[in-house]
Amino acid sequence: MTGMTAQMIFLAFFGAAAVWFGIVVFRTKSMVRSALALLFSQTAVGLMFLVMQAEFLGVLQIMMMATEMSVMAIFMVMFMMDPGGMGAMDMTHQKRLSLWAGGIGLVAALLVIWLAAWGPAVQEIPGAAQQAADLGRELLGRSMFVFQSAGLTILTAMVAATMVAIAPRKERKE
Amino acid sequence: MTIIWILLAFLVGAYLIAVLESWAVHGRLQPARPAFSALALLGRESLLARTPDRLFFEAGPVLLLVAGLLAVAVIPLAPGLIVTDLATGALFLNAALAYVLVALIMAGWGPNGAYGMIGGWRFLGQFVAYAMLIVMPITAVAMRAESLSTVDIVTSQAALWNIAYQPVGFALFVVAAMGLAWLPPLDLPTAPGDLASGIEAEYTGVRLAVLRLARMTVILALAGATVTFYLGGWLGPWLPAPVWSGLKILLVAGLMVSAGRLVPRVREARYLALSWKLGIPLALTNIFLVGVIALVVPI
Amino acid sequence: MILELMIALTAGAAMFGTGLYGALSQTNLVMIIMGVELVLAAALVNLVAFWRYLHPEEPAAQMFVLIIMAVMAVEMTVGFGIAIARFRSRGSVEMEEARELKG
Repeated sequence: MTGMTAQMIFLAFFGAAAVWFGIVVFRTKSMVRSALALLFSQTAVGLMFLVMQAEFLGVLQIMMMATEMSVMAIFMVMFMMDPGGMGAMDMTHQKRLSLWAGGIGLVAALLVIWLAAWGPAVQEIPGAAQQAADLGRELLGRSMFVFQSAGLTILTAMVAATMVAIAPRKERKE
Repeated sequence: MTIIWILLAFLVGAYLIAVLESWAVHGRLQPARPAFSALALLGRESLLARTPDRLFFEAGPVLLLVAGLLAVAVIPLAPGLIVTDLATGALFLNAALAYVLVALIMAGWGPNGAYGMIGGWRFLGQFVAYAMLIVMPITAVAMRAESLSTVDIVTSQAALWNIAYQPVGFALFVVAAMGLAWLPPLDLPTAPGDLASGIEAEYTGVRLAVLRLARMTVILALAGATVTFYLGGWLGPWLPAPVWSGLKILLVAGLMVSAGRLVPRVREARYLALSWKLGIPLALTNIFLVGVIALVVPI
Repeated sequence: MILELMIALTAGAAMFGTGLYGALSQTNLVMIIMGVELVLAAALVNLVAFWRYLHPEEPAAQMFVLIIMAVMAVEMTVGFGIAIARFRSRGSVEMEEARELKG
């Protein structure tokens, strides 16, 4: 491992973008902006996947997050009195504790990352089409049960969330 | 070099679609009309609304254009005439078109105007209706081709085009595509006569020109996707491959732009109900049928 | 030393820290969900980095990424379900006003 490779530069760039947009999420006053900043942070994560040659996962991440975060934006607008951030209201609490927690988490993770012995990198990876095929065989073979449970969990969550969210009958009649 | 040819081809295509659309709207064929209106837009002052979200306002149309161009990048016009033949092309097309939604929300929220904002959020509701009906028919197409690459999808249709193999999927995909490109009768985000052209209401001058060009690109990308997935792409007798793709794409785009104008505008709730109660069961049936046919009859 | 892995993991760690700070410091339920999404995205980056640089022959690592994506979707669904219910009954999703949810 000597010198900078193009992969490193792109990884560092998109990684920095992901972190930067992640910070913007909590620094901007405008709720729509923070939802879209999260979207671009997730897109940068998807681009990191592409740099790491996980083509299917990268494209999937980029596709899924666009919709998820747009939905997030409309919930923001629905639930906030001031979604545009014109009134500059403060919406934080226990700031010091949170900063410490985030900082300690970061430092601990960094220590582990930089002190651990990771061993040699594997250079040869399967091609994109091969990866997708392998992933499909994995999902419908060894990991089928896990995959099906994930699907069922999503279904249960959808039903439960809908039931929690719809108005009680007596309220609807009024 | 290929990229430049493809871009030029799509630019010409966008112009022709603009001519067709103005024909469908005004009832007169005026080949020079889009050029004149583009010149007029470029010459006009580009107004800025009061206290806009400047970043979103500027970025919205550009992001829409980028999304359209990225979608175009995986559409094959002939063997070898494609920007990038990704192994996950069909999924990539989806991913690029998902940013149409983001761009419209940004363009709607940015100018700080009521019509624009309602238009943007309306498109989000519309998205919830069409999203599944874009993905599920593509799944069936990829099942037949046993690949997500758009080139493989075209070559898999050599014996029989997908429009005959899975007509239900074709119908669902075209309707969903019309929702994605907000073409009438599903033109809720702009809705002339009801929302005062919605997201376009606050845009003038150069920015409006970019927005309209971007929309034409999205329409063309969707027509290209329909041709690639269902009409056999470049396949066809006698004529050379690129000519076939061009003709098919123009035909599909022309039909998409004009046919819906004969139908009254569909209300948002009705569109949602139809998509989820009728469209998704049909799409699942389509996937099941295609799976059975692919296993039983080798075409 | 695998520098690419280090870079990816460092980005993941920074996202994790930011997300944790956000999830703890925000009072709005939707903003808290955003913080959690950021933490999960950090997990995704780490998983893909481990797959790419340590075990590229193992498709189970990619499967794990799909499961985490499903978890993200479930977390959002349930979170917004609760948010809608609270907004309907209390007219706000501020967590400072939600003392009665404490067990």
